[in-house]
This record gives sequence, C-alpha cells and structure tokens, in this order.
Amino acid sequence: MKRAKLLPVLGGTALSLALFLSSCAPAGVPTGDPPKRQFVVAFSQANNAEPYRAAQNAFLTKLLAAQPDLKLVISDAQQDNSKQVAQVETFIRQKPDLLIVAPNERAALTAVMGQAMEAKIPVICLERDILQPNYTSYVHSDNVAIGRLAGQFIVDQLTKKYGKPRGNVVAMRGLLGVEGEINRDRGAREILDRYPEIKIVADPVADWIQAKAKDRMTEVLRAQPRIDVVYGHNDPMAIGAYLAAKELGREKEMSFVGVDGLGGTAGGIRKVLDGILAATFVYPLCVDKAAEIALRLLHDPGFRPEKEYLLQSVMVTAANAASMYETYSIPGML
Amino acid sequence: MHNVSLPEHLQAVAITKRYGGVCALNAASFSLRAGEVHALMGENGAGKSTLARILAGSTPADGGSISLDGAPVRIASPLDAQRLGIGIVYQELDLFPHLTLAENIVIGNLHFPEGQWIAPSRMRAFCAPFLDQVGLHMDPFLPAAALSIGQRQLLVIARALSMDARILLLDEPTSSLFDDAAERLFALIATLKSRGVSIVYVSHKMDEIFRICDRATVLRDGATAGTVEVPHTTPAELIRLMVGRELQLAPRGMSSPASRNSEEPLLTASNLCTAKLKNVSFDLYRGEVLGIAGLVGSGRSALGAALTGMDRITSGTLTHAGAIGLLPEDRRLQGLMMRMSVLENATLAVLGRLSRFGWIRRQEEQSELAPVMRRLALTCPSLAAPVSQLSGGNQQKVLLARWLLRNPAILFLDDPTRGIDIAAKQDIYRLIQELAAVGTGLILVSSELPELLRCCDRILVLHEGRLAARFAAAEATQEKIMNAATNVAANAAQPC
Amino acid sequence: MLMLHLPPLKKAQRLVALAALLLLAVLISPTAADGSRIFLQAGNLTDILRQVSLIGIISLSMTFVILTGGIDLSVGSILAFSTAVAAMFLTRGYTTHMAVAIAAAVAASTLAGLLNGVVIATTGIQPFIVTLASMIGVRGLAKWLTSNQNIDIGFGRDLAAEFAAAFREKAVVIGAYALAAAVSWTVLARTVFGRHVRAVGDNEKAALYAGLPIRSTKIAAYLLSGLFTGCAGVLYAAENHQGNPNAGVAYELDAIAAVVIGGTRLSGGQGSISGTIIGTLIMGVLTNMLRLNNVDSNVEMMIKAVIIVLAVAVQRERNTN
Repeated sequence: MKRAKLLPVLGGTALSLALFLSSCAPAGVPTGDPPKRQFVVAFSQANNAEPYRAAQNAFLTKLLAAQPDLKLVISDAQQDNSKQVAQVETFIRQKPDLLIVAPNERAALTAVMGQAMEAKIPVICLERDILQPNYTSYVHSDNVAIGRLAGQFIVDQLTKKYGKPRGNVVAMRGLLGVEGEINRDRGAREILDRYPEIKIVADPVADWIQAKAKDRMTEVLRAQPRIDVVYGHNDPMAIGAYLAAKELGREKEMSFVGVDGLGGTAGGIRKVLDGILAATFVYPLCVDKAAEIALRLLHDPGFRPEKEYLLQSVMVTAANAASMYETYSIPGML
Repeated sequence: MHNVSLPEHLQAVAITKRYGGVCALNAASFSLRAGEVHALMGENGAGKSTLARILAGSTPADGGSISLDGAPVRIASPLDAQRLGIGIVYQELDLFPHLTLAENIVIGNLHFPEGQWIAPSRMRAFCAPFLDQVGLHMDPFLPAAALSIGQRQLLVIARALSMDARILLLDEPTSSLFDDAAERLFALIATLKSRGVSIVYVSHKMDEIFRICDRATVLRDGATAGTVEVPHTTPAELIRLMVGRELQLAPRGMSSPASRNSEEPLLTASNLCTAKLKNVSFDLYRGEVLGIAGLVGSGRSALGAALTGMDRITSGTLTHAGAIGLLPEDRRLQGLMMRMSVLENATLAVLGRLSRFGWIRRQEEQSELAPVMRRLALTCPSLAAPVSQLSGGNQQKVLLARWLLRNPAILFLDDPTRGIDIAAKQDIYRLIQELAAVGTGLILVSSELPELLRCCDRILVLHEGRLAARFAAAEATQEKIMNAATNVAANAAQPC
Repeated sequence: MLMLHLPPLKKAQRLVALAALLLLAVLISPTAADGSRIFLQAGNLTDILRQVSLIGIISLSMTFVILTGGIDLSVGSILAFSTAVAAMFLTRGYTTHMAVAIAAAVAASTLAGLLNGVVIATTGIQPFIVTLASMIGVRGLAKWLTSNQNIDIGFGRDLAAEFAAAFREKAVVIGAYALAAAVSWTVLARTVFGRHVRAVGDNEKAALYAGLPIRSTKIAAYLLSGLFTGCAGVLYAAENHQGNPNAGVAYELDAIAAVVIGGTRLSGGQGSISGTIIGTLIMGVLTNMLRLNNVDSNVEMMIKAVIIVLAVAVQRERNTN
C-alpha cells in the first residue's frame, strides 16, 4: 500500500511541475531558427526587495517591451553574492545576446562577469563598480556628488531659516559598509563640515529601512530637544524619520531631505509633492541608459560604447516636483 | 460465570492489520459480552495490543468488521471510540507530562461540559470522584510528570472512567503496579463489572486472569487461537493455547546461602542516603541474587540510580569491587535506541574495546556479539534490524546483551521481565542463574513477588526510601513481604 | 488514509526523487544554439556542483549536529566570521603564507563551534537558544573585526589574489566538498564517535544509562560544525573575492533544509550523510533547472517550499505499534 502510493505522488509532482514550468518558461530562449533574429537580454538583479531595484526592473521591462525583437529575462539574487554568481553562471550557459548586471557586491561578481566577457557576451555593469573592468560599459551615478548636493541644500535651508548657516542636523544612515552609505555621507559632510555652527547631532544606522528609521528617529527625538534638518541617505529613511516626528508632534520643527527620488505613489518625488520631504535627489535608475546602449549594441554592429557613463542627479523640490513626478513615474507601477 | 447467556455486546470479526511486511493481525476475531471481564491473552507480538488499539480507534484496521450490539460501527478515531463508550488504558500511558492531573483528565474529554469557562474549581469537581475511585489521593493540580509510573497508570484509568466508558480496554494494566495498587484495581474492576461495564483485560499473568476474568481469548501469531470460559480451564491449557505447546517451567536451582561471613562482599552500602533513599545498608556477595521488593515509588529504582552514580549520594558510603551494570526499569525510555540496530544497541557500551583509534572493528563487533546472542536465545530478523521491530522480550535481551558484553561484576536488574512474554521470562530467569553461578552479584527488582521468591537468595523490602525488612528467600513468603512493603510501622530489620 | 510512508525504501526513494528531478531537468532544458541541451553541458553540471558545495559542506556537519538532537543556527555567522578572518590575514600583511590565513580562519571558526558545544553540553540550555545567541554574537564579532567593511581581495599578483585564484577553481571547490562528504560518511558510519552521535540523538537518557560520553559527543559535533563551516568560509572568501561580515545570512536554513530533505529527523537519532548529499543535490538541481528556464524567482521559492514539505512527508516515519 505504501509503496504503491509513492510513485503516483512523485510522478504527479513531476508532471505538475513540468506543466507548470512549461507554462512559465518564456518562449524567448533561443530554441530553434526563428524567422527573424530574436535577441535575449538577461538582467541579473541584486535583489527585488528594495523599491529602487523594483523600479529599475519595471522601468527596464517597460523600455524593452517596446522592442518586438527583444526578450528580457530577470533574475533576483536576493542580496546574496553566491546566489548572484550562480545566476550569472546560469545565464552564461544560456548565451544571451547581452547581459546586464547590477552587482550585489563589487568583489564577488568581478570574476564571473569576466567569464561572461570571455564567453563573448557583452556586459553592462550597473551602478556598482567591480574590481576589474570586466564589462563592456559601466553605467553609474556619483553618490559623493549627490551627497554634496544634499549638503548644499541643507546649508541653504538653514541659512534661510536663521539668516546664517547654523543648526542641528540628524543623518539617517543606510547599511554600514555599503558604497551608497559611505559616499552619500561623505559628500554631505564635505559641505557641512565647512560650517562650524552646523552640527550633526545624531547619525543612527537604519539599514535603508523605513521602519527601522522610525524607531531610531524616535530615540533621537527623545534625546534632542531641537532638530532642524533630517538627512536620510534614502527616501524611505527620511520618511520613517518624518513619521516618528509626526507621532511626537514635532514634524513642523524640522525639514526632511532624502535621496533616490523614485517616481510613483510610494516614491520620494510624491512625498515632495505632498510636502513631507523638503527635497529629494534623484539617484538615476541607470537602466534607461543601459537600455539605450543595449539597443544600439544589438542593432548597430558598428557601435562602440563608452567604457563608462556617469549620470547626473537632479534635485527635486516643491518647485519642480510635479513635472519630475510625470517624468519618473512608470505607468503600471505604484 | 453466571452471565454465560448474555448476548454478544461487541463483536470484531476477521480483523487484519499489517505493518509493512509484518502481519500483526491475521483475521483475528473477538467478542465481548455486556458486563463480563474478558482476558485477551497471547505472547508478545501475538497481536493483542494491536487488537486493543484497533477497538479503541487509535490504529486503523486493514480489514475486518466491528459491530456493537449487532449494528456495524466504524471506529476511525479515538473520538469515535469515546462516543461509542469505548475507553482504553494503554500500556505506555499516553499522558501529557507537563499538564496537571486535572488537565490530563479533561483534555479531549467529551463528558467535560464544553464551551464553558474551564475554571479550576470546575475541573476539580469533575475529576475528584474519578481520582478517588482509583485511589489517587493527590492534588489534581500537580503536573503528571510528578507521578510515579504506577500513579500515572492510575491517572489514565481515572481518565477512562471519567469518559463514562461502557467498554474498558486495559492493556497490561498491572505490569507496573505493585500488589496493593493491583488489589485496588481488581476491586475497581469488580465495581465496574457490577455496574454493567464490560472489560477487556490484556494480560499474561495467570493468577490475575483466574481471579478476575470470566472468559479468555488467546491470540497466537495474529490469529485467534481460542476462547475459553475461565472457570472451566487451567493455566496449562491457556499456556498451551498461547505457545502452541506445553511449557516446562524450569525449577529454580536455589544456590545454598552458604555462610558469607568469611567472604569479602562485592558491594557494601552503609547508611546510604540520596534524595530518595534514607539510611539503606546491605551487602552483596559474589554469586548472590539479591531481590528488592517494594511498592512503586518506594525507592527501588532510586537504589539503582544511587549505586550507578546517577543520583548523588548525600551521606553514607558505598564500596564495590568492579563495575556495576544497570538494566533500567523502562527499556524504551531509558535503555534502547529505538532507531538503531540490534547490533549497534548491543555493542554501544563496549565500543572502546571494539575499536582502534576510534574506528569500529566491525568483524570483532559481530563475533563478540554472536555468543552472547546465543546465550540469551535472542532472535531477530537480522543484526541490522532496528530494535523497534523486535518483541518486548527480545528488546530486553538486547539490553541484557549490552551488559553481558560489558561483563560487570555487579548487575542491577530493574524489573527485567516487565511486559514480556513467558518464554522470554524463562530465558531471563535462566540467565540470572547462570550469571550467579559464575560469580556475578545480581540485584533483582521486581513487581512480581513469585518471581522474587523463585530467583533470589535474599530479599530486601523497601518502604518510602527506607529498608523495611530483609529476608532469606527460604523464610520469605508473599504475605511477609507485602506486610513489610505496606506497613508504615516498619518491621525491625531481621537479620539473615 | 493520506499516509505516505515506506521506511525500508527511504534511500532508494531519495535516489528516485533525484533521478526524477534530473530527468525532468533534462526534458525541459532549453537548448543551445547547436541544439544540445544546456542542462547537460559539462560546464552546467559542474556549475551545479560548485554552487551547492558551500551549503553542501555546511549541511554535512549540520547532519551530525541534528543527529545528536541539536541544531546549529550560527553557521551563517561563523561563515562570515571565517571569511573576515581569512581576508584580514591575507590583505593586512599578517602572514606571507596563505596556509596560515586559512588555518587562522578555520581555527577561529572551530573555536566558535567549540564554544557552542561547550555551552550546550555543560549548561543544558537548548541548542536552538545557544546557537541563536551565537548567530547574533558571532555576526557582531565579524562586523566588529571588519568595522562593517567588506575586505576586498583584488585580482593582482599579491598573496590574497593568489589565494582567491587558487581556491575559486571549480575543481578545488568541488573537490573540497567531495572530500568533506567522504570524511563525514566514514566518520558517521565507521567510527565510535559516529555511533555515539546517533545514540545520543536517539535516546539521550539511555545513552546516560549506557555510560556514553554524552557531553564530549555533543561538543565534538558542534566543533565539527564550526570546522566545516570555517572551511566553507575560506572557499566563500576566495569565490567572492572578499571577507564579508554580512555573508551567509540564512545559510543555516538552507543547510537545515538540505539535511531534512535528505531524510534526517530534525529531532535526532536517524539520518545519513548520503541522504544529506542527495538533499543538497536536489536543491541545487532544482535551482539550476528553474533558473535555466527563467522561472520567476518568487515562483522558485514557492516550488522549493512544496518540495521541502513533500520530501519530508514522503519520508515520514511510520507509526509503529
């Protein structure tokens, strides 16, 4: 009785799995000789959990969906280096026409991206540099520059408020040791350190997460009687800090500055429109540039891309928020 | 007896149950009349516990039919059984050790009014009469873990009674009860019977069956070997039905208790005290079988724990020449690794000897075990078979093998024949004598007084952690031992 | 009667499951330009082995721990600790021999495992709690040592780069796993320690009565876990070119999953190294198969959940008596 039961169970599982997979498996993987050249673009994403990453995925999907001869596949490494290495290896086996990698961490992905290059797959590296130039093009923005922009904005705010640059600033830091955290902090401090009357009174670590930022900010609010500006290294942390201040009835006392400037109803630009954030600084999604390079590479054999593209940030304040919201919002994404 | 003409109350026909390739029950049939006490007998592995479990809904049958008062019934779960008025007391005592006595009784109990606030007072009121009936005069809010094995058994019986069972299945209920608790149980059975409750009494203790049972059904190899009226049969007849042949009970070759004065004792305990023992003093000599009698909880198992260093000795001295082996009371909980093989269980305590630099020498492991297995008449499908597949008797022999390989100078056997079949008991009695003959000092704890009287040279009686009496086997009787074990005004220890 | 059990065939069952999965992977594998099945390419098959090696090594020692009736939640943190120690020795000029760096990382990890074992064996606190604490504590230690920074290992000609180049070789990684598997199998099946591990997990009380060295057996199991995890950490540092105090998050769960899919009882006493290896391979092949077919990663997680429950349900012990 027991033995007889197992095989149907296993068989049934295998069958349903097979059916399920065949319905999931995209037809775009090269399987035969399609009438027209069909291109496959593989995108190895570091994780799907952060809103910034989700926006990248959605934006890239939208941009490439407009191309009938182009098929996009995305893998999610769930913030795990080994997983991402494995996923890139698997992509290499599939021989896509182009590989885009948003590395989870720089050192870990260096070698495997080199393997992709050896396999003659053009590689676009997004946003995070790797240790060796194992890519066709590197598309990124400059977090130090963003930090400086934010620092300057804070100085201007305080000068407007007090007539001269003075006041108390709280910095909400992201995951320690990550490039974005280090450079957004460094850039801002470069500016703020020039004004001895501007003090960073607290700089708690909230790991990029809104809920943690709210908790950390609550503690800061208990300890600091007067706060003028909160600088969140990303928008969710600035929003978390805002929620903590609002809970204690102190949100009018200070202004909130974030970074990322995503579109959509949950993004930072919307929060500027809503008057929650005084400003946010768009951290470029980079995928628009990547898509542009990809299309030219695939369609124009003569195209030689630059080794590096540096994308500039944009400051979003109440003055330009409405138009920026239009530009950066992606239909179909909240 | 007088209710021979009563109609059949519960009928089970052609019940079949297989575990993997093993046929536990092969078209066994059984019928029970209202108000009778019906013994279900058979050697271990004969299928009597399986049949009891099927009737109680805890094991599904593979085939066969059950009817109650002529109407077919389906007993698919213990709850079904409870609704039909069938209660069971398992040999293994299915209790929740971390719940209180009261909670153990009301949990899953259809007769405890549902949907109401489970107030302590309500639980107390519900449980009190049943605890009283079984003679468990204890605080109902003690955790069940605080009870001894014997007391736990009483608790399970109280739970079955509280479920208002019209049919009560007792699976070897006296296997761990001492005589006074057993007496109380027998009185209880008589009361229940007079109230029209039918009782299925799973046991292989002849004296009990002839005392309290009206009929007996004997199972052999999963099939019904026969049903007899107890008043019209003999123990020999029942044994013949159980084993399929006449069994010769080997007479005890009593070693003459020679004068020990000149001899150094193997073990001397003087004024031994632990958390559970008070001022216990005795000697054990080479080749002696020393019996320990006492009620459950009297300190007889605690003595084993004290001698083997499991319990801390708080005062007094213990000196012994050579290692002490302990065959624990509960072979499943304290003795065997149920998922490991016969071989692995048997050699576990001597791996140091059977290995070189930590590597097990598998040839020697087998060659050392082989003669011990022959000596114990241990039979198993293969040395690689898990011990869980063996009968209780063979499991006990595996544990004995573990100690025989160790070859200890002193062996403490804590109720070694509890719940095992007659043939295996005989093997163990024979082994005790063989070990004594080669000079091993044995301490034998038993709940069965005839066993002690047959096997031992001297018998110590414990009562509430103290030595209540000591007898030479020749002068001991069941009556004297019982008096010492139960009498609070302890007899002065008699010299022997 | 939804009973799915057949104990005698457990081993065969697992192999059948793995074989069925392999067959499925071959059948649904996409094809390369030359018409061959990508799944069957030697490169892809060795990719799978390399990808499972780290979790594989950890799950081998996890098998010992689980067999004693314990659990080791700290392996992910110990792995991170090991990567950090290895990278520090390699990049900060503490030594000129990579063997010293490797030995330091493995020794540090073994020490962490030893600490787990000693606390568990001497205090009697549940392994879940003790290793939960060291999961937090060792992670903190790794982060503190590195000041929250990844220690990058470059691609130049220095000691660290040479180390990474040598130990990220597929053959070395897979070889290390194979060696660890062979050692684990032999130790469990052939040594007194292996026998004691199973006995203690099967029935600790009986082990006490039989006079077995319960404490030292437990300590040795956690020590082994630290040792193997330390080795996995060295391989991680080489593979990812970094000492990473944030590495190995949730690795303990992957390792436990491989062990239970391999048929080891979570409560101890029963299980095998071969089962764990098959469990590891099942998860690896499944991942590779789903990735090759570009199945959505959220769906991948759902399928894995089903596989875990199914694997354990099929191998469930029957209720004897």
